[in-house]
Amino acid sequence: MKRTGLTILASCLSLFFCGPASAQHSGPYVGAFVGGSSLLTTKASNSLGNFSISFDPNLTGSAVAGWDFEPGNPLGEGRIELEYTRRSNTVDQMKFVEGSFKGGGKVTSDSLLVNFFGVFHDAGRWAPYAGVGAGVARMEASSLQVGGNPMGSGSSVVLAYQLGAGLDVALTNYLNLDLGYRFFGSSKPSFTEVSGRKFDMNYFSHNAVLGLRVGF
Amino acid sequence: MVNLVCSCFAMVLFLSGCGWNDTPTRQNDFIPLTSIVITAVSPTIAAGTSTKLTATGNYSGQFTRDITDQVVWSSASPAVADFKYSTAPNRARVSGVTVGSAILTATLGSISSPGLTLTVSGATITGLTVTPASLTLAKGLTNPFTAAGTFSDSTTQDITFDVAWSSSDVTVATVSDDIASKGSAKAIAVGTATFTAAFGSKSGTAAVTVTEPVLQSIAVSPQAPSVLSISTASFTAIGTYSDGTTPDITALVSWGSSDTSSATISAGVAKALAQGTTSISATLGRVSGSSNLRVTGGNLTGISVYPPSPKPVKGTVSRITATGIFSNGTSRDLTGAVEWSSSDSARATVTSSGGTLAWLNALETTSSATITAKSGLITGTSTLAVTAPTVTSVAISPTSMALNVGTKSRYILIATFSDSTTQDVTANSTWATDSISRASVEDNDMATKGRVSGVSSGSATITATYGGKSVTAPVTVTARNIQTLNVSTLPTGFIAGTRVAFTATANYFDGTSMDVTENTTWTLDKQPYVAMFTDSLNQPGQVVAVDSGSATLTATFGSLTKTTTITVP
Repeated sequence: MKRTGLTILASCLSLFFCGPASAQHSGPYVGAFVGGSSLLTTKASNSLGNFSISFDPNLTGSAVAGWDFEPGNPLGEGRIELEYTRRSNTVDQMKFVEGSFKGGGKVTSDSLLVNFFGVFHDAGRWAPYAGVGAGVARMEASSLQVGGNPMGSGSSVVLAYQLGAGLDVALTNYLNLDLGYRFFGSSKPSFTEVSGRKFDMNYFSHNAVLGLRVGF
Repeated sequence: MVNLVCSCFAMVLFLSGCGWNDTPTRQNDFIPLTSIVITAVSPTIAAGTSTKLTATGNYSGQFTRDITDQVVWSSASPAVADFKYSTAPNRARVSGVTVGSAILTATLGSISSPGLTLTVSGATITGLTVTPASLTLAKGLTNPFTAAGTFSDSTTQDITFDVAWSSSDVTVATVSDDIASKGSAKAIAVGTATFTAAFGSKSGTAAVTVTEPVLQSIAVSPQAPSVLSISTASFTAIGTYSDGTTPDITALVSWGSSDTSSATISAGVAKALAQGTTSISATLGRVSGSSNLRVTGGNLTGISVYPPSPKPVKGTVSRITATGIFSNGTSRDLTGAVEWSSSDSARATVTSSGGTLAWLNALETTSSATITAKSGLITGTSTLAVTAPTVTSVAISPTSMALNVGTKSRYILIATFSDSTTQDVTANSTWATDSISRASVEDNDMATKGRVSGVSSGSATITATYGGKSVTAPVTVTARNIQTLNVSTLPTGFIAGTRVAFTATANYFDGTSMDVTENTTWTLDKQPYVAMFTDSLNQPGQVVAVDSGSATLTATFGSLTKTTTITVP
């Protein structure tokens, strides 16, 4: 079984890196991505001071719809797309003056971004890309807890952005495998403590994604 | 492709820094307080004394916190023991009123501590000790004193708060009897005083000697300056003494340099020798302060003396200059920084008069004498011959001059001698004007002799005399209204040690223009650490770069000002 798996993996790799070049797709496409999201330890603050919240990594999922520019497009080679992504990370710990305490609850981000990726095509089957995106995100803090005690909750709509880079692997003329990295950030969402007091927090995350894009 | 991958990797590393890892400043107020524990220094105190309590909160078993100043203190028997003070830090101090026992509690919100039983005894004081018993304190400093009481039941108790403190001479030293700072002493003036702590029938004393204020820190300024090699930088040491005074102690401290190959220092004046950074320290006793000095502009590799082989006429003085050649490819005037010497000082000497001026004095005839300019181990020479011909004629250059009111320009006087040689004798001549109300000419300072100033509209005649020969030249002065002022632009390649001679040009409403560099007031806001003037008297507008940074050069002529940003990369 193990040998069979290795054989399949080796075959796929040889297809990716040694196969003939496919024709470059232009026109509309849709795609779906899955991956992992690591939300960076964040600074939460209000008039009472600062404390930190650290999170567990979790899965992320995206859906995109966009347009591959035709070769020679005056905007350059690349694509523009609308991306919806959900990231949800559970709270690992919260750190105050007295020390670190076990956290609870989760922070979920639903973002809608317009991305532009420049693609560096060469003669091979795979092409690196890099780009940026901007849009909005709805941030929701659900049942946040510290040391088993309720801490806060709430939701907030904020401006969001991301930087991305990755590799496109053309499986066929219309099907691309996309292995990418995204750094996602936003303006500070504001949530409500159990006392009714507001607090703000930073939101930055590293994301590794794997997806398929189907062109038309 | 490799660059792209590296860039992406670097970007991820950079973005990883967005996570927050600082020290939190907020207390955890989400986990509820579940219990409070009171502790007392002395569970038994004598009547008339007090003790301080501490309240420690336990938050759901997850952490504890000192909440002494947050709780509400109460006594079940205030007639026995009571909390008399409402403000910190004495809110938690309980005083024994009469003999008996009292249950004390601390409450925060809905949580109350278990009762602490405090016993107030009827013991009477038998002895009182003040600690320290004697103290020498420099003027301006403070020090706490404590009082310990021994009681009839053989117990001892800290009664610092309960005694009455006093000083025998409050002009020498004071001791606080205020409830917020009982026992805190302060040295006021040199002398001696006795502190007394009294409780009931007992008292204790402490001898206090106040000495002269002591130095606590030294601030060296300027902090982190940059200077060119083969130049000097002055430092100042300001001491902060225990009495709060901050005198200038530049002359009192011992100066040192951590890298004497870069710079040496004496009496607060550092001599920059070679490129590098050295820590300049000022030490007095066991206290020291420091500042880092950065030496820029390359290392000196050679000295060129100009003129290299002059033949001055006996009795004249003429300018002589030394130019340093540096390892970074720059050169600059070191006339005022080198040591001048003569191989035959009876016949020729060099007098350095400050700035970038040095005068070659031709005293007696000689066929050969060597003038040496030296800096460290680097030397440059000029070989001269002093002659004694007679002057046959003199000539002014230029032959005429046109000035605007308020501007200046220079005439020079060239003498021709019997051996057909010529020499600039401007500094050896006498200069005069026939109309000081229209044009004046300077005749006092050798460095500025022959400089003519336009005073008012009209004409004047300037007369120069040397060796019994005189010559005249006309000056026409015109009153013009200035319209704009232009300053020359900064050339490229302006690195440390590079000189740039800025010029200022005045443009007048009648369409004429004039170089007014010498009439312009030049200032630099970052002098001498980004750039500095080489010699404001003789070379106005000439700037030399010192270290990386930007400075603003301001040229002011009449009512007009022009600023230029100088950037040293």
